[in-house]
Amino acid sequence: MGDEPLIRWRWVRRNWSDEILPALGDHIVLCGISVLIALAISIPIGIAITRYRRAQTPVMFLTGLLYTIPSLSFFAILITFPGVKIGRTPAIIALVAYSLLVLIRNTVVGIDSVPRETIEAARGMGLTSSQILRQVELPLALPIIVAGIRIATVSAIGIATIAAYINAGGLGTLIFRGIDRDFPTQILIGAGLATLLSVLVDFGLLAVERWLRPWSRRAAARAA
Amino acid sequence: MIGFRNVTKQYAGAARPAVDNFSLEVYDGEITIFVGPSGCGKTTCMKMVNRLIEPSSGEILINGKDNKSLNETELRRGIGYAIQQIGLFPHRTIAENISTVPRLLKWDKKRMRDRADELLELVGLDPDTYRDRYPSELSGGQQQRVGVARALAADPPVMLMDEPFGAVDPIARHRLQQQFLDIQAKVRKTIIFVTHDIDEAILMGDRIAVLKEGGILAQYDKPEKLLTEPNSEFVANFVGADRAIKRLALTCVGDVQLEPVQGDGQQLPHVPEDENLRDVLAAMLAGGTDRVIVLSCEGEVRGTVSEQTLRSLFRAPAAERAASGAVQ
Ligand SMILES: Nc1ncnc2c1ncn2[C@@H]1O[C@H](COP(=O)(O)OP(=O)(O)OP(=O)(O)O)[C@@H](O)[C@H]1O
Ligand SMILES: [Mg+2]
Repeated sequence: MGDEPLIRWRWVRRNWSDEILPALGDHIVLCGISVLIALAISIPIGIAITRYRRAQTPVMFLTGLLYTIPSLSFFAILITFPGVKIGRTPAIIALVAYSLLVLIRNTVVGIDSVPRETIEAARGMGLTSSQILRQVELPLALPIIVAGIRIATVSAIGIATIAAYINAGGLGTLIFRGIDRDFPTQILIGAGLATLLSVLVDFGLLAVERWLRPWSRRAAARAA
Repeated sequence: MIGFRNVTKQYAGAARPAVDNFSLEVYDGEITIFVGPSGCGKTTCMKMVNRLIEPSSGEILINGKDNKSLNETELRRGIGYAIQQIGLFPHRTIAENISTVPRLLKWDKKRMRDRADELLELVGLDPDTYRDRYPSELSGGQQQRVGVARALAADPPVMLMDEPFGAVDPIARHRLQQQFLDIQAKVRKTIIFVTHDIDEAILMGDRIAVLKEGGILAQYDKPEKLLTEPNSEFVANFVGADRAIKRLALTCVGDVQLEPVQGDGQQLPHVPEDENLRDVLAAMLAGGTDRVIVLSCEGEVRGTVSEQTLRSLFRAPAAERAASGAVQ
């Protein structure tokens, strides 16, 4: 690459609104949709597991299995399915599948972390089971569920860069094109933005997690 | 009235029942104590009243109706329940915890707030300091008092209290017991109160059920009867070798007929009229005298009582004592 600068800012400026921003937008939408769909599946399943323990082992085994499939193979397998076209759909399916393990597990762990005596006091005072779920179990489990969302989202942001290979769009597109053209600026902008997005989401959701736990935050502040 | 009719609870996989053929009447407006060694089935008995546990056989009648025929949640909302492990909601403030049942009953905000403050005062916690704290910011004993306040919140006619003062220090406990009795004298709730402390049982109970291992009812009587006529060696041992002295604790010195003071009596110990006879005896022993001066609550001298009077009182049953004004 000789004495060429690592990043050509002129290219960045010129392609900012046509290529870079849309790729970033696609990436956020891709990961956002996937995690939301995964959440919509995982929370009911997680709650169901706390009610029917027998389901726990098979569900965790299955989602664990999905989690171990290497991402590129997963995308490849999906596009061989009839009716699944190359593009965003197989990417979303794979990202949802990857998120299930951590989201279901954290929902179960969150609900299990509610002290038994708290539930029993609630029952004894005449809360119905759905009131206990909504007013006691879920609020107390929420910080742990959000911790799961944080891990799932950060992983999704990483894996989604590879999904560009099957034309799902996103920041991976910049990386792959940059590699094709041997153009470091494009590679670095794609990779850099993906990293930045991960870090921001990580910190943002960590803040949400703490904000959802005013009781332990205040107690810690008082103890300090 | 709450009636236990041949109630047995056999937990799955347990070698023998936790509660065995348990029958007794809990009378309206009284404090009925369940007392007994750890693991004898007190909590199990209590939880069958509000159906947290279903009996294996037998039935529990509430105002004559089998509690199985009553709506579960309505039954529970009408029964104040302070559980042994406290069980406050960690994510809710103290005021919100206390307002749990009022919120279910859809009280308005102001009424809930006023009630929470009133109850905090009652259990000896300053509302301004504690109402907006979270449970994790309170000591175990303070949490327990909040648990009692929460059970009282909607003013239920029936209360189940499982060792409600177990985590409170002796001085605060004594004050809470006394306060609780003062309130009870006014509101006359029907209360089942579990403890393993026989002194607390004698102080608080209108009637005491002594349970033994395996959930068997050993004796069910008024405190005086339990102390004078324990029906078995188990009960005698459980109430303790000092049961004679415990009996003295059942009577206030102010209720005994006093003698006029001879001379100025300055050197004699002074006791307030609401002191119980056990503490009066202790004051005599500590003062090395056989006589104490009794003061009214306003601090005026009411009279004097002698050790001999205590001895003679001790020979008469409490009922007679109260009836005759109790002098030899
Ligand atoms: N859910 C349960 N499953 C099986 N056995 C139980 C269960 N709950 C209690 N037991 C058993 O039943 C017996 C009575 O328990 P219970 O909690 O009623 O005792 P307790 O008198 O309240 O004791 P403590 O004074 O220690 O609170 C004990 O032997 C206990 O081990
Ligand atoms: Mg118990």
